[in-house]
Amino acid sequence: MEDVYVIGVGMTKFGKHPDRTAVDLGAEAVLEAIKDAEIDPRRIEAAYCGHVFGGMVTGQKVLAQVGLAGIPLTNVENACSSGATAIREGYLAIRAREHDVVLAFGLEHLTTRFRGALTPGEDDLEAAVGLTMPGIYAMRARRHMEEFGTTREELALIAVKNKRNASLNPYAQFQNPVTLEEVLNSRLIADPLRLYDCSPVSDGAAAVILASGWAVAKLSSRRAVRIAAAALRTGTVEVGLPSMAFEELTHRTAQDAYERAGIGPEDVDFAEVHDCFSIAEVLRVEGLGLYPVGEYPKRVARGEADINGRLPINPSGGLLGKGHPLGATGVAQVVELVRQLRGEAGDRQIARAKVGLAHCRGGKAAGIEGAACTVIIATR
Amino acid sequence: MSDANVASQAYVPFRQGLFRFEEGVGELLGGRCRHCRTWYFPSRRVCAKCLSQKIEVLPLSKQGTVYTYTTIYQSTPEFQVPYILVYVDLPEGVRVLAQLTQCSPEAVRIGMPVEVVFEEVGRDQEGRAIIGYRFRPVGPWVRES
Repeated sequence: MEDVYVIGVGMTKFGKHPDRTAVDLGAEAVLEAIKDAEIDPRRIEAAYCGHVFGGMVTGQKVLAQVGLAGIPLTNVENACSSGATAIREGYLAIRAREHDVVLAFGLEHLTTRFRGALTPGEDDLEAAVGLTMPGIYAMRARRHMEEFGTTREELALIAVKNKRNASLNPYAQFQNPVTLEEVLNSRLIADPLRLYDCSPVSDGAAAVILASGWAVAKLSSRRAVRIAAAALRTGTVEVGLPSMAFEELTHRTAQDAYERAGIGPEDVDFAEVHDCFSIAEVLRVEGLGLYPVGEYPKRVARGEADINGRLPINPSGGLLGKGHPLGATGVAQVVELVRQLRGEAGDRQIARAKVGLAHCRGGKAAGIEGAACTVIIATR
Repeated sequence: MSDANVASQAYVPFRQGLFRFEEGVGELLGGRCRHCRTWYFPSRRVCAKCLSQKIEVLPLSKQGTVYTYTTIYQSTPEFQVPYILVYVDLPEGVRVLAQLTQCSPEAVRIGMPVEVVFEEVGRDQEGRAIIGYRFRPVGPWVRES
């Protein structure tokens, strides 16, 4: 099968964009990725667009804006994993030698759709009795505290770290660091989680250009970053009384990605993980096998996950700091992997980074452990 | 229309198929696989463990213990905050999410014994009571009032 590379990346600043549309944001990200790839846009053979609330044929509207209308395009919805799933679809098309150059992008204009807490979806049984997304993660935090002695302060330090990283990222929604006290004094959303434990409501878009090994040689793209694996799993039906302090779904998806890449968690130099809430970063990192189960919060407190630490987590600022425009999130994670691996991450550059991992986990429905989970591994 | 019919239509369940409720007394309904005996709540068409389609609907235990909990301070407009949510583990090996009533946010604990209660959770457009299920503390955990 054909090797797959990222040859161009682009994204908008994440944040509140009241004067712009999702399509406009998507077009900006796509044009930046094409420019970054230094290719003639007519070389792009197919496109995949991830979004959740964008509405019908959103991807096609973006293509029309950037002069690419006419090529095959597939809109992809997989909740918060939509963008990462779009990348995987492009990756598979190149692996299968159907295409040599593919565009994958994600976008969302969430501030026009929501305020406050998101729920699993209005038809969902658990949403109907009052479950919100912060609520489910609050209950998982409660279990992690019970089983591993994790403290409220340790969770807050994750938000402090990610907002500090975001202040070094010009594309991030939050440009200012916060203190431990500010996190602990922010208002309660779902006890024990407070406002700064939660990712914000965001607008934004991100795009990547993928290319086959053949195309990389032909185009002489010197800054190409290889995609070593792109794994996707769905959550299984919960049977019995599973632990809510460990993510079986993340673990299974990661095992698949590690096996495909021929890379283990010990080889990973840094990771972008789906920190929709402070506790979520704990569950992701421990499920991925990057830190020992139950220990991650204490390692964060010791600085191990900082940009200059032993194994940096969410150098971009993550969802907590950079923002979380659902469909764009998974694509923006890969944008960060590429910028770090190329050595183009500016003030937040990780030294000697050769292997990066991106993890997304999206959606919740009553009776299943989670809806969609992706793990993408990129290497220099 | 007879009086009995009027009485039976004085309320509606908030969802079909989740519980039985008659004359103020109710019970949650689970599904048990006839083949491998695995329980589910709600009942399912296919057993997730053995893929058998022979699932029988049976009442679940009334009492269980709190696996985890939270107090919700920000929600969607149809819910009045704050309210407590609990995941309750029942003896059949199923976990049920519901609100906790007759308990303060400070008093709820992991491992706390609770029992299911059926209460009015709202009114429909015709003014009938919408009945849903909640849990409340039992035994020494009951709040004095």
